[in-house]
Amino acid sequence: MNTALRQLSLDQWDARYAQLRRDGLSEPSYGGPLRRHVVREKDLRLQQLLFDNSPAALRLWNFLLTENGRLHQARAAGHKIVGTMKDLGTVPVMAYALPNLRAFYPDGAWWTPCLMECSDKLLHEAEKMGIDASFCPVRAMLPAFENGRHFPKPDLLICSTGAVCDDFSAIAQRLEHLGHSILWWEIPRRRPPAAGETACVLPGDLTAPQSQVDAVRAELQRVACALGELAGEKLTDDHLAAGIGAANQVRGLLNSLRQSVYSAPAAPLPALEMLIAEMLAIHYCSDRAETVAVLEGLLAEVQSRLSRNEFIISADAVRIFWVNPVADLRAMNLLEELGGRICGSDYMFTHALDLIPENLPPLEALARTALADLMVGPTSDRAARIVRECRAHRAEAVVISRIPGASHCAREGKIILEILRREIGLPAIELEVPPVSDPMRPALTSRLQALLETARPARRPIGVSPRKLVSSHSTMPKI
Amino acid sequence: MDVFLTSPWIPAEWISAHGLQPRAISSAQNFQPGRWPLAAGECAFAGAAVRFAEARPDCAVIFSTSCDQLRRGFDSALLAGQSHAFLFNLPATWQTEAASRMFRAELVRLGDFVLTIGGHRPSGDELLQEMERRRETRLRLLESVSATSAREFAEAAAQFHWGSHGRDTLPPVRLSHARQAEDESIPLALIGGPFLSQHWKWLDELEAVGGRIALNATEWGERSLGPASDEPMQGGPGARASSPAAFGVSPKAFETGKPSIKAAASAFSDSLAPPSGERGTPLADLAGTYCENIVDVFQRPNTRLYAWLKPRLASRQVRGIILWHFTGCDLWRAEAQTLRDRFDLPVLLLEAGAEPGVAPRDLNRLQAFVEMLK
Repeated sequence: MNTALRQLSLDQWDARYAQLRRDGLSEPSYGGPLRRHVVREKDLRLQQLLFDNSPAALRLWNFLLTENGRLHQARAAGHKIVGTMKDLGTVPVMAYALPNLRAFYPDGAWWTPCLMECSDKLLHEAEKMGIDASFCPVRAMLPAFENGRHFPKPDLLICSTGAVCDDFSAIAQRLEHLGHSILWWEIPRRRPPAAGETACVLPGDLTAPQSQVDAVRAELQRVACALGELAGEKLTDDHLAAGIGAANQVRGLLNSLRQSVYSAPAAPLPALEMLIAEMLAIHYCSDRAETVAVLEGLLAEVQSRLSRNEFIISADAVRIFWVNPVADLRAMNLLEELGGRICGSDYMFTHALDLIPENLPPLEALARTALADLMVGPTSDRAARIVRECRAHRAEAVVISRIPGASHCAREGKIILEILRREIGLPAIELEVPPVSDPMRPALTSRLQALLETARPARRPIGVSPRKLVSSHSTMPKI
Repeated sequence: MDVFLTSPWIPAEWISAHGLQPRAISSAQNFQPGRWPLAAGECAFAGAAVRFAEARPDCAVIFSTSCDQLRRGFDSALLAGQSHAFLFNLPATWQTEAASRMFRAELVRLGDFVLTIGGHRPSGDELLQEMERRRETRLRLLESVSATSAREFAEAAAQFHWGSHGRDTLPPVRLSHARQAEDESIPLALIGGPFLSQHWKWLDELEAVGGRIALNATEWGERSLGPASDEPMQGGPGARASSPAAFGVSPKAFETGKPSIKAAASAFSDSLAPPSGERGTPLADLAGTYCENIVDVFQRPNTRLYAWLKPRLASRQVRGIILWHFTGCDLWRAEAQTLRDRFDLPVLLLEAGAEPGVAPRDLNRLQAFVEMLK
């Protein structure tokens, strides 16, 4: 096993980029040195991050960091812009089924304070707009809407509501009060079918009553009408079927990437790049075709490394299952610096990773996918999937990353920890990661260190799992 | 068996028609004995509801999806072994037929649940009887608003939601001595989440410093008694039944003082009366009326809340708003600025603290707020 591959700082990437260019690196239109994002966009956090050193990772980062610019270009080229909020993965499949629509998540602005190390003052501005620090960092989207300095103002805003986070829902409502009209669609809290009720199989090994699927399908039909109206072209089943096929191409690539990285004896790609790659599933970073190219590049790089037995993080690292995305990207680096590696993840959009059924009427398939969102169902469903994946990828510990101010984190984390303790007995902790975690770094470090130190002594030789990990008996409560 | 409801929008009539006793969890004397535990990010009310459910396995608790924390609180209660818990899916949207259908379906599901805990399937007449009983009490409560002190109204509303209704069980409405000083006191609106008996002392303190609550729009207060709007609604299935014509109330009714309150009360109560031919079954009528008259912050859009508030704030000459919320309640806190903007009134945020009484710091804030408005 060769762990000669290194993660690079931004300074090191300057030299690496120059070398790659000299060697004939070919880049897409949004390509260029990472440094320019610091200079032009004030993405100061990049100076504190460690990056994978591959051209595939360079392309991933450039793709991510040019999204706002590409959206403005799309608008200038005559595309209609759809801001879709909260559902994380379903409405964009519909929007991209029409050729002249681009959908993005304004929610994504929650990473802007991190990337710009709060120099954008978005959080400060949000406070002045009535949404203070007791709310999730997604509040950054409020002033981003108002000042127009980030993403373009959408032509249509769509937001799921019902079984969603209160903080997000409240912020979106504030947005509407400020004059940004929103099409709300209902996603009910998923529940198990009652005895005698017609049940429906959902992606992710879940079930729901057919009546709930029917209700969501009716809601998505309203969304489809609005999208068609905006595009000036009816969103037909044929469009949707093609859109689902394209979505599944992205999801398939991501599944291959996750499987390759998370099941490898050591990590062939760092946690940070994996987090960003997974995020592409929800709205293709505003360019579906390019998402496919970016993911193909990453997958090829990973497969090449695996074939050469080359890894970024050693096999000695403690295998961590990570729950929830981090507000500060730096936290993913920190875990690896302390001797951990990611072997599985639930960044709150697992339903955007599961394949959408292609043997059903398209809206039915999308309704089932939307209902398969683990965030809209019983917490025990989410915990069950985490348990399954911990077992599958031989996780040695679990980190539940709390999002500051997020309403779901207050209770959900405790429930998941309790179920994890009952089911597999892995060491697990909750920790909170603010958008710029530097002041919290000593506390985060010591908590993660304690977790890793607890997990290591319990380690078995590879291939020999602790009894509980291979147990097929589940005591999971049915909620 | 007592069936505790975590939201006023879960029809209590439906429970009592099944032969069980519906009770507002917020009215329970032992809902949160002593200090309110404040955990990071956790809504103290939702936390108390979970602990209450865990401690009372002999009762049923109906959680609602009106907020994230109660929704997940249901998960916690089940994990702790409470087998008599039910989660009622309250739709956040309200302008679509799908939302109405969802509400009706949840009522049916709730009925099935109640059967499993000892209830009996009600006849149409039993349901009508329960609807009528509650209709009368709602009417009397709404009529009493202008004739009672804020504390008396809060107590009476809490009693109603506890399950005391009808002429015999509801304390007689009486003119309070406090009303004599009404003209000099500053009329305020109390808007927000659950305002429990432990908090009623606030109302006395407020009156002592020269203010009074002219509108109790907390969760189990006047807002829970209807009607939803005095303005014609824009589209949606709710437009018919909750429009002024359907209630028999003129759009300006609330701007003309006490008689209009009575008219509105009567209108809402009429809507809970035995079913019209249009609606069909008593259950459909009950579902329709509730669904169409929910006035709450969690709805999307929550314009119905503002439509409900607007005429009442104006007719009662409210000069300031107290926004009451529990720690960790994002839904209400986020409305503070919109309330300021929309009504051009000063808004004071008051947070339910750990102690049941009134903290000196909060009393100071209240005093300053009233002084500022004098």
